[in-house]
Amino acid sequence: MERIRTAWALFQGLLLEALPFLLLGVAIATLARLVAPQGLWMRRLPRHPLLAPSTGALLGFALPACECGNVPVARRLLAGGAPLGTALGFLFAAPVLNPIVLLSTWAAFPNQPWLLLARPLGAFLLALLLSGVLGLLPESRLLVPELLAQRRLSQPLSQVGLLERPSGLVGAPLPPAPAPEARAGWGAELEHASGEFLNLASLLLLGCAIAAVVQTWLPRSWLLSVGSDPTLSIVALMLLALVVSVCSSVDAFLALGFAAQVSPGALLAFLLLGPVVDLKLAGLFTVLLRPAAIAITAATALLAVLLIGQWVNLWLL
Amino acid sequence: MLIAAALLSLWGLVLLVSSLSGRLHLLLHPAFHGLVAGAGALLLGVAALLALRGRHRPVERLPLPWLLSAVVANAVLLLPPDPSFSLLAAGRTQGLPDPPRLAFLLPPEQRSLSEWVRLLRSRPDPSLYDGQAVRISGFVLPVPEGQPLLARLQVRCCLADATPMGVPVAWPQGYRPVTNQWLAIEGRMATATLAGEASSVVIPERITPIPRPQRPLEP
Repeated sequence: MERIRTAWALFQGLLLEALPFLLLGVAIATLARLVAPQGLWMRRLPRHPLLAPSTGALLGFALPACECGNVPVARRLLAGGAPLGTALGFLFAAPVLNPIVLLSTWAAFPNQPWLLLARPLGAFLLALLLSGVLGLLPESRLLVPELLAQRRLSQPLSQVGLLERPSGLVGAPLPPAPAPEARAGWGAELEHASGEFLNLASLLLLGCAIAAVVQTWLPRSWLLSVGSDPTLSIVALMLLALVVSVCSSVDAFLALGFAAQVSPGALLAFLLLGPVVDLKLAGLFTVLLRPAAIAITAATALLAVLLIGQWVNLWLL
Repeated sequence: MLIAAALLSLWGLVLLVSSLSGRLHLLLHPAFHGLVAGAGALLLGVAALLALRGRHRPVERLPLPWLLSAVVANAVLLLPPDPSFSLLAAGRTQGLPDPPRLAFLLPPEQRSLSEWVRLLRSRPDPSLYDGQAVRISGFVLPVPEGQPLLARLQVRCCLADATPMGVPVAWPQGYRPVTNQWLAIEGRMATATLAGEASSVVIPERITPIPRPQRPLEP
């Protein structure tokens, strides 16, 4: 009973902390729709395999959102026809490459200049890698069908054939909820944003519940007991990042609590992996990516962060 | 849109009630309290606008995920959090709190438990504190080796990242501290040997059970 009560409190803590950031993300996405309803600026973003994810990653400075808020913004980018690499670069890098997160990292580790450089650089490289790997999949196997249908309607016919664009012109069934192309007005946008917030909040509930249950029944000391072992400490801190699921704007302060007990590579691994993959995000990603693509994202991120952590340990230990 | 308006207002109410009832003091770092209240007010405002827009439309079907989220929102409203502090602290290494800023300037009896922990971490020489008056409160935290500590939880974001910080107490002969119980202790600092090292411990002169404070977490 004690554990259930504690898990319930953890669930409430995670949820009440994440909901305002989710609302912020939906608000940014809605503003983007209101300001540029046709999404023309999105389609003009670079498509180059390296430039596209780089642009997306740097968009985090203009649209600051932590890992819950960036999902609706990335969804808006994809639905608006932005290059795939740009949207994915934003999705994976913006939770670290934004002023709030960089400032909090600096505030937590002012005496570790290598970390202040390694965190944004690592997040940037990780976003490039993930965008590159996911870009190898065709969009139909990468994106969920509803989002794909909205995206097809926003893409010019020079890129998408009529058969791929289910607008009814060639007899294909109409998409369930096509994106309105014309300026919809604030009322319709408000309705759209409300629906999006409620859908994402339902998924956030699931993620917070999983994170709270796992945290309550998995003693953290097991993960931290591996201490300064170069490889095990990285694996342990990566598991911790998956489980704890705290917001990227404050995870540096959490890392401060055990920074002295773990290897530097493990510390960086914690700060890099949490914003990209964690239990709380598992549900939210299902509005963007198909299950196989989520699995590829998680596997690639885990492997890449492990390698980065190992390299940092080789360099600093 | 009436369903969406009702659900948004329910979640707005959850955020506002959590803020106004002081429940957030048990869940989140104070830096986020304003954000939660603001988000709650915004959700209520949006819900009102939606209700005005959709008042002449028929009520639409309620999707299953939204229904579940309504159930959870009601549960959050009806079942306030009541965590076990010692369970939260169990299996988590003690945090490394920031060094003290004002603790040396304060008279010893005005230092809080967290200020004592910071002070003892930054200047661990027990002879500096011998005989100083102590007036602290916290919960009883059992530790794997040795006597239970009097502890507080430090939170940087939300309860999920809570880390314990505690001071050793030389409990009086025959006194059995109850895990999780909140106590106010008045006494003096003294030097004792813990795990083979000279350390500062609190020698209680008066131990009073107290209810859990309104703000049990240390920022």
